[in-house]
Amino acid sequence: MAQVAKVKFLWRIVDLIIGGVFIYAGVIKALDPIRFASDIDNYKILPWAISVRLAFYLPWLEILCGLALIARRLYLGGLSILTALTSIFIVATIAAKIRGLDITCGCFGHASKNWSFTGHLALDLAILAALLAIWTHEHTCRNRLFRTARLEPVCRDIV
Amino acid sequence: MNMRTVRLFLAVTLSIFICPIARAELKWEQTTVELHPAVTDKEAVGHFKYQNTGNKPVRFQSVHTSCGCTAAQTQKDEVPPGEKGEITATFKIGDRTGTQVKTVTVDTDDPVNATTVLTLKAVIPQVLQINPGFVFWGQGEAPKPKTIVVRVGKDFSVKQLKVTSSSPDFETKVAQTGKGQFKVDVQPHDTSRDMAATLTIQPEGSSKTFYATARVTNVPAVQ
Amino acid sequence: MRQAPILVALAFLPGIGQAIYFRDKVSWQSPIPASEMVTVAQARAWGGKAIWVDARPDAEFEQDHVSGAVPLNEDRWNELLPRFLATWSPEKRVIVYCSSQSCNASREVARRLKDEAQLKNVFVLEGGWEGWLKSRK
Repeated sequence: MAQVAKVKFLWRIVDLIIGGVFIYAGVIKALDPIRFASDIDNYKILPWAISVRLAFYLPWLEILCGLALIARRLYLGGLSILTALTSIFIVATIAAKIRGLDITCGCFGHASKNWSFTGHLALDLAILAALLAIWTHEHTCRNRLFRTARLEPVCRDIV
Repeated sequence: MNMRTVRLFLAVTLSIFICPIARAELKWEQTTVELHPAVTDKEAVGHFKYQNTGNKPVRFQSVHTSCGCTAAQTQKDEVPPGEKGEITATFKIGDRTGTQVKTVTVDTDDPVNATTVLTLKAVIPQVLQINPGFVFWGQGEAPKPKTIVVRVGKDFSVKQLKVTSSSPDFETKVAQTGKGQFKVDVQPHDTSRDMAATLTIQPEGSSKTFYATARVTNVPAVQ
Repeated sequence: MRQAPILVALAFLPGIGQAIYFRDKVSWQSPIPASEMVTVAQARAWGGKAIWVDARPDAEFEQDHVSGAVPLNEDRWNELLPRFLATWSPEKRVIVYCSSQSCNASREVARRLKDEAQLKNVFVLEGGWEGWLKSRK
């Protein structure tokens, strides 16, 4: 039983870390939405009018989803939104690099502007990997529940 | 072991850690200095102290600044081992605003740290923020008043604003619109010819004067 | 799964609140463009439609400058700006130059003209004064 508890505990830790990362990233961007708006604009994918509105909205979405992960309320919703956001962001970053644009912000807004492109990308991919890992774990648990009508001890807290 | 021995022991062990493990021979007390000049200051001076902690003299090969507004002075060209000194960077504030960052690049013959960049950050206090600083009408445009918003910096308190125009062709009206906020309405008498005026904005109780410009241009306004 | 739309909707509340707080501090329709650079060739092609602004210190302006250029530097901004604004007109293009590519004065002067005087069509000369000298030969 101790083994099961340990595994559950580890998944909980992953939740807390990833949730915390997104809350931190969201707060940094919420503190300076004007700077964030021009950072989004630097990707030259969206018109300014949309960039500026997104700059006021996205950080709060990140914070709420991070909280969802930590509090395990609206958990799957938060997980799916964060996975979608991270994937879109990684694609946009790679696209910008290919087009030769100078992006000075990563997930963490202007605070991370001194990091290298590869450093940023590595961190974002790691976050995406963690999100997908959590997904797989949740999916496996719910699948098993559906098929066997029996809740594995490791998954016991998803209901 | 009494307290004295313990303290001595601690001091010795701590000093071993604190003592520069860096091999740099010219050690700087700080390479970034932040200055907060007063409103009436014309210059901001930063002192960058150094010490030659090596056993060979260090010679300054060149010291140059990032802009003509900053002058850097070394007290001596060569620093003998063990000697301390400082590089003084004098930044002429002029009419600059906001946070100004200027750098001083120091080249030495120190083989380990040949070049050091010293950063001078001057936070210039802003008594008033005037937005926009320039209002204009195209020729033939309806001579309706245009508004300049004046905001008082948060470290300052201004109760009244005196605005005078250098030309009677433009009229000004000042009103307080809130705590620390004023609006200045500027209106030309007519827009049939090219004319300009400098608006002098004097906050009550401050010796510093601010300006805005009003103009009627010689062409119709472009949209 | 209804969870995602709930989160999406909830996030609107603080977002809109913040947008209301910032409503006067942000340009909602168009961005403030980054300093636009222009090459010497392009600037010359504008001919009389351009006003040249010299952002270098007074001493350098006295020595030599683009013919017809107006001095405007941060040391004497308050004194020189009204003089410049008296010669400016909205259909002209403003070209700011200073010592060379590494000098920041032209960018700062251009920025202040755009932010404080809210002028449009302000450009920074690529290559600066040295670039201009080379083209004069």
